[in-house]
Amino acid sequence: MYLNILKKDLRHKKTMNIILLLFAILASMFVSAGLANVVTVMNGTDYFLDLAGVEDYVIITQNGGENVEEILKSSPNVTSYKKENCFWGSKDDLSVEGKKIELKNNTLLIQHLEETGIKFFKMDNSQLAHINKGDIYVTSGFLSSNNLKVGDILKVEFGDTNKSYRIAGEMKDAFLGSDMMGNTRLLISNEDYRDYTKSQSLLPYLGSLYYVASDNVKALGEEISPAENVLFSDSREIVKLCYVMEMIIAMIVLVLSVCLIIVSFVLLKFVISFSISKEFREIGVMKAIGIRNFKIRSLYITKYLAMAIIGGIAGFVLGIPFGNFLTGAVSKKMILGNNYGIAVNVCGSILVIVIMSIFTYLCTGKIKKASPVNAIRSGQTGERYGKKSIYSIKKSHLGNAFYMALNDVLSAPKRFVTIIISFFLCSILVFGIVEVTDTMKSDRLITAFTKKSDMYINDAKILKMEFLSSDGDAYLDETSKKIEEDLKSLDMPARVSADVLYRYPLTFDGNTSSFVFQQNTKAKASEYEYSKGSAPQKRNEIAITPIVSDKLGAYIGDRVTIDFGTEKLDCIITAIFQSMDQLGSVIRLHEDAPTSLANASALMSFQVDFNDKPSAKEIAKRIDIVKDFYDIDDVFDAAMYSDDCMHVSKTMEKVSKLLLLITCIVVVLVTILMERSFIQEEVHEIALLKAIGFKNSFIIKWQSIRFMIVTVTSLLLAIILTYPITKLWCDPIWKMMGAYHVSYYFNPLSLLVVYPGIILLLNLVAVLLTAMHTNKITSKDIMNIE
Amino acid sequence: MAKILEVKDLCKTFVIDKRQNNVLKNVNFTVEEGDMIAIMGPSGSGKTTLLYSVSGMDAATCGSVLFEGKDITKLSQNELSNLRLNEMGFIFQQMFMMKNLSILDNIVLPALESKKDNEKKPEKIKRALELMRKLSIIDVADNDINEVSGGQLQRACICRSMINKPRLLFADEPTGALNRTASGEVMEAIVKLNNEGTTVMMVTHDARVAARCKRVLYIVDGNIKGEFISDTNSLITDNERKLNNWLLDLGW
Repeated sequence: MYLNILKKDLRHKKTMNIILLLFAILASMFVSAGLANVVTVMNGTDYFLDLAGVEDYVIITQNGGENVEEILKSSPNVTSYKKENCFWGSKDDLSVEGKKIELKNNTLLIQHLEETGIKFFKMDNSQLAHINKGDIYVTSGFLSSNNLKVGDILKVEFGDTNKSYRIAGEMKDAFLGSDMMGNTRLLISNEDYRDYTKSQSLLPYLGSLYYVASDNVKALGEEISPAENVLFSDSREIVKLCYVMEMIIAMIVLVLSVCLIIVSFVLLKFVISFSISKEFREIGVMKAIGIRNFKIRSLYITKYLAMAIIGGIAGFVLGIPFGNFLTGAVSKKMILGNNYGIAVNVCGSILVIVIMSIFTYLCTGKIKKASPVNAIRSGQTGERYGKKSIYSIKKSHLGNAFYMALNDVLSAPKRFVTIIISFFLCSILVFGIVEVTDTMKSDRLITAFTKKSDMYINDAKILKMEFLSSDGDAYLDETSKKIEEDLKSLDMPARVSADVLYRYPLTFDGNTSSFVFQQNTKAKASEYEYSKGSAPQKRNEIAITPIVSDKLGAYIGDRVTIDFGTEKLDCIITAIFQSMDQLGSVIRLHEDAPTSLANASALMSFQVDFNDKPSAKEIAKRIDIVKDFYDIDDVFDAAMYSDDCMHVSKTMEKVSKLLLLITCIVVVLVTILMERSFIQEEVHEIALLKAIGFKNSFIIKWQSIRFMIVTVTSLLLAIILTYPITKLWCDPIWKMMGAYHVSYYFNPLSLLVVYPGIILLLNLVAVLLTAMHTNKITSKDIMNIE
Repeated sequence: MAKILEVKDLCKTFVIDKRQNNVLKNVNFTVEEGDMIAIMGPSGSGKTTLLYSVSGMDAATCGSVLFEGKDITKLSQNELSNLRLNEMGFIFQQMFMMKNLSILDNIVLPALESKKDNEKKPEKIKRALELMRKLSIIDVADNDINEVSGGQLQRACICRSMINKPRLLFADEPTGALNRTASGEVMEAIVKLNNEGTTVMMVTHDARVAARCKRVLYIVDGNIKGEFISDTNSLITDNERKLNNWLLDLGW
C-alpha cells in the first residue's frame, strides 16, 4: 500500500519532485566538486612543486655566478643540488612573421632538456621528455597572449645566432611559470642549444639555475648572500608564494563552491519544508484512517531518501567535469591533482545524501503537527491562511501589481529571505572579484610598487640587460639624460629616473641574510609613501617593509649593517612602507646610498615626471607621442603600469566573467524553481484573480515584480557590503603579497550598472518566462481547487 | 423588465479519455434585470458548469450567451476579464481570498484594478467600507482572513463581488461551506443586494436557500427540467414548502 501511495505521489506531484531532485543534483554536484577543489587547492602548489622536483632552495645566477657553485659544493647545509644552464635573452629577440612578441617580463631563458634540474610538463600533464630538433616549447600562456598556435614559426635572433623554431606546444613550468615569477622559458632540443654554446658572443648571457636540497634553508641563505651575480635566491616557500595569484583564483573557486553549497542547502530545506506543508491534507487523511506518525514519516523519508540517493549519484557524475571546469583557469599553469582521486567527490556526494536525509528527518517532524482535523477542514484553521498582512492598500501609493508583490514579500519574508540569501551570496562574490579587478586596473596600487609618476617606459628596447653590469651606472645615467633630452625636444620637459633593485647582504643581531634593496637613481626616498616613521633623509637611513621587519625582527630605530661591496654601512631603520615588489621582501635605500649596478638584480622602468604636471588626458596623448618617437609599445601611465606589474587583471577579469556566468546560471535556476514552487502554491489565488476579472498580464506583472524586489534587495545588499566583505577576504591575500593598506577602487560603472544590470536582466527574463506558466491557470480552475 | 442574460442552445461537452461527456445539452433560459434565480439539481447534473459557462469563466462548446445583447462566447480572454471585473460579481462556495491581504484590502483590490468609473482610491475605499457596514462586517475590516468566522469571510467575499457595482452576481453554493446561522446571514445579505436591484444567479443544493429566490431552474443531465416561480406574496416558509413539493415531483 505504501508503495502505491509513493508511486501516486511521484506521479501527481511531478513538478515539486522534479524541483527537489534538481536541487539534490545541484547540491551533490557543487559539494562534490567543491570538496575536491578544496583538497586540490590546499595541496595544489606542494603537489605541483613535488611533481616537478623543485627542491628546498632555488638560486638564479647571471654571467659569472660560479662562486655560487663553490658555496654549494662546500656547504654543510646542502644535501644535494641540481644545476641547469641557460642563456638569458630578451623578448626583443623573438618574433613571429616579423611581429614582436608580447611578454610580461623583458627577460627570458633559453634552455634544453638535457640535465634539467626539474621536470616540465605538457598541457595534457604528461612529462615533457623529448624535443625534436627545430621544435620549441614555450611557457603556458605564451600562445594565447600573442594569438599564436602550435605549428607557428618562432624566430629567435639571439646575439649572432639566428634560428627559427616550430612551436611544438606549451609547457607547465613549476619554478618560473607562476604569474609573480613570470619569466618565460623556451625549451629547445639539445642539438639546437649546442649552436648557442658555440657562439662566443653569447657567453656574457650565460646563466644558471640551482635547485638545492637543504635541511637548513635559513643558514644556506646566509651562506649564499655574499655570492655575486645572483638574480634570485630564496626558499621553495617563496616559490610557492609566487603562485599566490593562481591560488587566489583557486581560492575564489573554493569560495564559490562554498557559496553554492550554502545556496543549495538553503533551497533544499525550503523545498522539503514547502513540499511537506503542501501535503498536510494527505498526512491528515492518513492519520484520520489510523496510520501512525512513524509510518507516515517513514513514507516521506523513503521518498526523499530515494531522491537524495538519485540526486547524489547524478551530482557525483556531473561534479567531476564541473570541478574540472572550475579549476580550468588554474590548471593551465599548474598540475592540480590530489592523491585521493575521486574519493573526495564520492565523499561530497555521500555528505549531501546524509545531510539531505537529516534535513528530511528534521523537516518531517512537522508531520506530528498535522492533524486529521486540519485535513478535513481544508486548512481553514490557519495553516493555509497563516500569513499576516502588514502593509495596507490604504497606505500604499503603488500600482496594484507592485503593491501585491511588495505586500507578499513583507508578509512572508522567510521564504523570500531564502532567495535573497542565495542571490546575495553569489552576487557578493562576483562584485568582490570585480572590485579587486578594478582596483588592480586602477592606479591605487602603484605606490605598492614604486612612486607615482606620470609615465613609465618599460620597453625592452630601452630597458636593456646591459644596465645590470659594472658599467651599468654610467650607461643608465646616460640613457636617462638622453630620454630627458628627447622629451625636451618633444616639448614636454621632464625628469627621468629609474627604480633599481639590488641584492646585498644585511646583518642584524649577528645574523646575515641577503636582501633585495630598492633605490631610485634620481628621485628622493622622501618622494615615496610610508605607512609609519619618516622617509630616509641620510645615506645611512633605510625603510623596511612589514615582511622584512618580521623576517629580521627589527623595527624603526634599530640599526643594521649593509655590505655594499665597496663599503659596509651601519644604517638606521627610519620608516615602514608597503611594497609588492619581491612579495614585500624589500628594503628602500636613501638615494645617496653607495650602490652599484654591478650588484643590481633588476631595473624596473624609466619613470617620467613631467615638469608641467599634465592632466590624465594630456598624459595619454604624450604616451602615444613617446611610443611613436621611440617606436616602442610598453609606455604606460600609473594605472597601466601597476596593472603591468601584477599582470593578473586579465585573468581576474576572466574569473569574474566565469563567476558572473555561474551566478547567472544559479540565479536563473533558483528563480525558475522558486517561481514554479510559488505558482504551484498560489494556483487558487491566481485562479481567483482571473475569475474576478484580473488579466494574465496583471498576474505576470505581480509575480515578476515580486522577484524583482527580492533581486534588487539582494543586489543592493551585495553592493553595500561588497567593500567590507572584500576587505575581509582579500586583505590577507594582499598582505601575503606585501600590500598592507589597499584602498579599493569602487568603479560605479561595473558595480552599479554592468554586473548588477546583467544579473537583474537575466532574472527578469527568467521570472517572466516562468510566470507565463500562470497563463495555463484559468478562472475555471477555481472549480478544481480543494 | 429588460433581459440581462439570454442563454440560447448552450452546450458544453467535456472530452475525457477520448470519451465525450455532454454536460449541458441545448440549454435555453433568460434572466431579467432584478431577477434572483437559483439553479438546482442533483450532483453531476451540470449546475456549476452552467454557471461558469454563462459567466464566461468556461467556454461553451456551442450556443450563445447574450449578456445585455452581446454574445460573450465570441469575446476574447481580455474582454471576458473586463466583463467579469466590471459587470459581474462572483461568490464561491470556498471563501477564496488573497492570503496576504486584509479583509478590506481583498475587497478594495478589484475596485482599484477597475477603470469602470473615475472614482479615486479614497472613494473606492469608502465604498468598500460602506458595503462592509451594510453586511455587518465593518469591525473586521483590518483583520486578516484567518481572524474572522466563515460567515464573515463569505460576507467579505460578497462585498468583494459587489465592489465594482456588477449588473449580475453569480454565486456558486454560497452557503455550502457554512453552518445554519452563517448561511442565514449570507442569504440575508444576498437578498438585500437583490432588493437593491442587483440581479443574482446562484447554484444551490439547499431548498431553504432556493426558496429565497424568485425563480428556481431545475437541471437534470444537462437539461432544464422545469422552472419554479416563487409567489412573492407568500411567506418564506410557504414558498419553501411549495418548492420542496415541486422538487419532489421532479424526483429530487
